[in-house]
Amino acid sequence: MTERSFLWNDQPIAFRDGESIAAALAAANVRDLGPDLLGQPARYFCGIGACQACLVSVDGVLREACLTPARAGLAITPAGARHV
Amino acid sequence: MFDRDVVVVGGGPAGIAAATALSQRGFDVELVDQRAQLGGAIYRQPIAGARPVKQSRFAARRWQHLHAAIQHAAVTYRFSSVFVGVDGHGNTLIEDRNQGRLVSVRARAVVIAVGAVEKVIPRPGWDLPGVVTAGGLQVMMKETGTAPQGRVLLAGNGPLLIAVAAQMAALGNAPVAIIESGNPMAINGNGLGLLPHAELLADALGYLSGIVRHRISWRRGTELIALDRAGSQLAAELRHADGRRETLLIDQVALHDGIRSNNFGLPADQAGTTTMPFITRAGDCREALGAIASQLDGMRAAADVAAYLSRKPNDAAASLDGIARQRAAQAVLATMFAPIAGPPRLTALPDETIVCRCERRRLQDLKLLLGGTGALSGREIKHNGRFTMGACQGRFCADNSARIACELNPGSPLVASDLTGSRWPVRPLPISALLGDEPAHHDQSARDQ
Repeated sequence: MTERSFLWNDQPIAFRDGESIAAALAAANVRDLGPDLLGQPARYFCGIGACQACLVSVDGVLREACLTPARAGLAITPAGARHV
Repeated sequence: MFDRDVVVVGGGPAGIAAATALSQRGFDVELVDQRAQLGGAIYRQPIAGARPVKQSRFAARRWQHLHAAIQHAAVTYRFSSVFVGVDGHGNTLIEDRNQGRLVSVRARAVVIAVGAVEKVIPRPGWDLPGVVTAGGLQVMMKETGTAPQGRVLLAGNGPLLIAVAAQMAALGNAPVAIIESGNPMAINGNGLGLLPHAELLADALGYLSGIVRHRISWRRGTELIALDRAGSQLAAELRHADGRRETLLIDQVALHDGIRSNNFGLPADQAGTTTMPFITRAGDCREALGAIASQLDGMRAAADVAAYLSRKPNDAAASLDGIARQRAAQAVLATMFAPIAGPPRLTALPDETIVCRCERRRLQDLKLLLGGTGALSGREIKHNGRFTMGACQGRFCADNSARIACELNPGSPLVASDLTGSRWPVRPLPISALLGDEPAHHDQSARDQ
């Protein structure tokens, strides 16, 4: 893992400084951020923290991928990963 | 007994204008925003090294002025922090994500400027990955300076679609088409109403010229009626004005049917007391009229707060005149872009269409709920049917659910707030932020500039 990457489902995802987790995942062509808490696909939708459709688990805390800045070394998984 | 004179929630045009004006008048102001920078959605700033998106000269100048003014003001910032509500004791509660906990601030006044959310009409398949809102796609472009990848379709209603298309084209990936349910180019004189509004007209013409220059197909009087998976792509089914159907294969689609106030769960405006703060909403969360009106309403809110705190006469009159002009301009745009087939009838959607995305509740579920013993109250629809019950707290289903209820029971009209109610937390927050000690005192992480 390079200094400027985080882990999505154990895969390193590169990001640019200041970028949100959602932007970095979109650049890596990751569109399905699920399973969500209902076991369904999660996904970027509104981009402003309103719809809660891009909730992911960031180091164990549920956060909106569209609001949360990417940081090196974060371990990010789908919100519903532990339930399936 | 107060920690601050004023807490301003939201770092878009309304919040920046309010915080700047109140700080300039000598009040102690804390500005809270959910992201790590100022700008809100409309002025979302590019990350370091990213190419700024195309925007009108007027919009660029408005941001420069707003930003320069607040840079010179002594505002305290609390970024990466989400407004939770004002509790019964008058405490403003904030989930401070830098601290990972809830923070309580006692302020003499609170200005709530949390903006707008997009209206999106449900269509089959609108919950699939790859389906975003046009505003969501736009803020991503503003942040990254790159266009979305692949074949992208823009669909719905309103001038934002044209702006997004022009910005995508300027970044090197024009959309496959813009699907627009209205026909603003119809020769009926509606557009003449924009003539007194020079800045909006210039914005519109700038984006329209981008559409023409990049030969983007702007299909007016056309509707996107369904989306489905097609291998790794999406199949978008279109219905033209003459009833003809067409299917496009695309990689992403951005939907947009206008904007509305993000007023979900917000405390009502209230006069201050010795223990409770003066509360006022400002900008799009008061009335969704766009960036120019929001900035003016931020100044109006600052005038109201200053009058309360200093017991001096209010000087908001000039802002109110400007806001009235923006209200008139938005009315002209709404007329120009009115869907040619009339307002969509949501009960005519296929029964399996998801209405509530969070809880995956479908049109048939709502029809079943409302088809029995007659009209239900909004609260019954929420608690028995789980519509507006999910994590978005109704932001993307309350209007649509209320409309469906009205179509089914015209004698018992409902509006979104009948379903959602109004209570904090305004947004879901992690249990971990609530656990443990009492909420942290206000000054542990807010940083002075």
